[in-house]
Amino acid sequence: MFESLQGLGEIEIAGGLTLLSLLIGGIIMGVGFIIARTVRLLFTKYYAPTLPQDTAKNMGKLLYFGILILSFLVFTSSTGVDLSGLLVAGGIFGIVIGFATQSVVSNLISGIFLMIEKPVKQGDSVELPGLDISGTLLDISTFSVRIRRFDGTIIRIPNESFFTSNIRSLTSTPVRRSEVVFGIAYKEDIDAAISVIDKEIRKSLPFVLMIPKPEFRIKELADSSVNIELFVWHPREDWGEVAPVLLKVVKRALDAAGIEIPFPQRVIWQAKE
Amino acid sequence: MEGGVSELHITQFGIYKITDCADFVFPNTEIKIKRISERVFSYLRKNHDDEIVEKIIPTQSNELTIEICPIRPINYPAKRTSYVYLDLETPIFLSEGSAATIFVRCPVEIGLFLIHDGQKDSLDWFTCDPEHSRFGLYGSPESGTLCKYAKSEIVESYYDSIPFVNGVMEMNIQNELSGGHSISKIIFPITDHSLYYRDSKTIISSLNAVLKKKLTLEVLDISQKSIQTDWVLSPSYESAEPVKRMDMGVD
Repeated sequence: MFESLQGLGEIEIAGGLTLLSLLIGGIIMGVGFIIARTVRLLFTKYYAPTLPQDTAKNMGKLLYFGILILSFLVFTSSTGVDLSGLLVAGGIFGIVIGFATQSVVSNLISGIFLMIEKPVKQGDSVELPGLDISGTLLDISTFSVRIRRFDGTIIRIPNESFFTSNIRSLTSTPVRRSEVVFGIAYKEDIDAAISVIDKEIRKSLPFVLMIPKPEFRIKELADSSVNIELFVWHPREDWGEVAPVLLKVVKRALDAAGIEIPFPQRVIWQAKE
Repeated sequence: MEGGVSELHITQFGIYKITDCADFVFPNTEIKIKRISERVFSYLRKNHDDEIVEKIIPTQSNELTIEICPIRPINYPAKRTSYVYLDLETPIFLSEGSAATIFVRCPVEIGLFLIHDGQKDSLDWFTCDPEHSRFGLYGSPESGTLCKYAKSEIVESYYDSIPFVNGVMEMNIQNELSGGHSISKIIFPITDHSLYYRDSKTIISSLNAVLKKKLTLEVLDISQKSIQTDWVLSPSYESAEPVKRMDMGVD
């Protein structure tokens, strides 16, 4: 056994690298791989649940690849491989690759900055007005961001695009505001219209906040109607319970009170000849 | 209260054993529980809008034991917060160095618990006053605290609650600030408080509120205080989560 190992130590592959040192290096890399996996497993089980989801995922990756890189360094130093030649070649190769993979590197750097800046976190509802994308943020990974759109499909956005976009977070405040515009006829009493709508909102929209209370603003004395803007606040999670039905509630209240919602009309005066 | 007759017509909180059928009548809400076969009961709740909730309850015996009791008012229309915002209809003015003990009404919801093998499982919950079960925001939209909002009246004693709709809470207020101040609203985490019931009335464990200075800010420091009572302690409907106490500004 010892003799066969000695034999392996005498077989040189290249530049002082023998079969024996390659074998030892392989064992070091194997052990490193096992340690990396075990550490990541222990981290995921015991520490990750106490951290935010994004941080836990990135820390797990950092630990895993950190240990693998460390194993590789131990491997190179134990085998006595001279990497100086490789470094020179690698430098030239790196420039070539750098030019060819600009966007990849850019996405990687953007990903790192996204992880540092944390403009939004996993599970947030976001809107990217410039890209016309809105949905729930699934994760921010090394090169891309995944968003589940509100139609159920998943879209992958390169980190660079995401990082340089305007990001509108829809869930970072405890409440949100929804607004609608409606019109009433000129002959109607504005205060009476506001009163009936206010009562109907209080009765049938339980998610609308009492404080701040619904706000009515006269938006415009338009061609056919007095246009009124209505602003209501609701818990951030309950946009779907309020915004899509707000106009329905307004119309129901106006109909019940017999207040006219006018349609565009034009009065034509015919001159007598 | 504990009953064990075959047909019950119930209008109070308590623990009930149902062998055949039972009707519960609350403001805006009716509940019917009846045995539909061996060891199987049906549960039906109807509110004033004719919305119906139906459940089938398999049991280990031909008897169903339930507890109907008040629970914290944070589940309708959805559980979004642990805080309650009591907007006092008549503000209280406290002069410098003075203290007062008052009783205020605080809304409650009603919980139904299935009792078996010594444990209580929540079966259903509802509110008898859905039109006034609303949210309010304390603070700014960017960083405020979402609360369950209710107008609150000052009453004379624990017995002045409206059955099934609200309970009474004792509030000890103290002014440690220089000068007099009015208190018109109280925001506190209701999950710190226990509820007790008797017949159809509810009381809620006490609240201490101290107007004091913290660094340069004038705040109303709120804390919960346990009470000694022979009323029955309600089980908790929602899982207790630790909630940060909030320093409420004086305005």
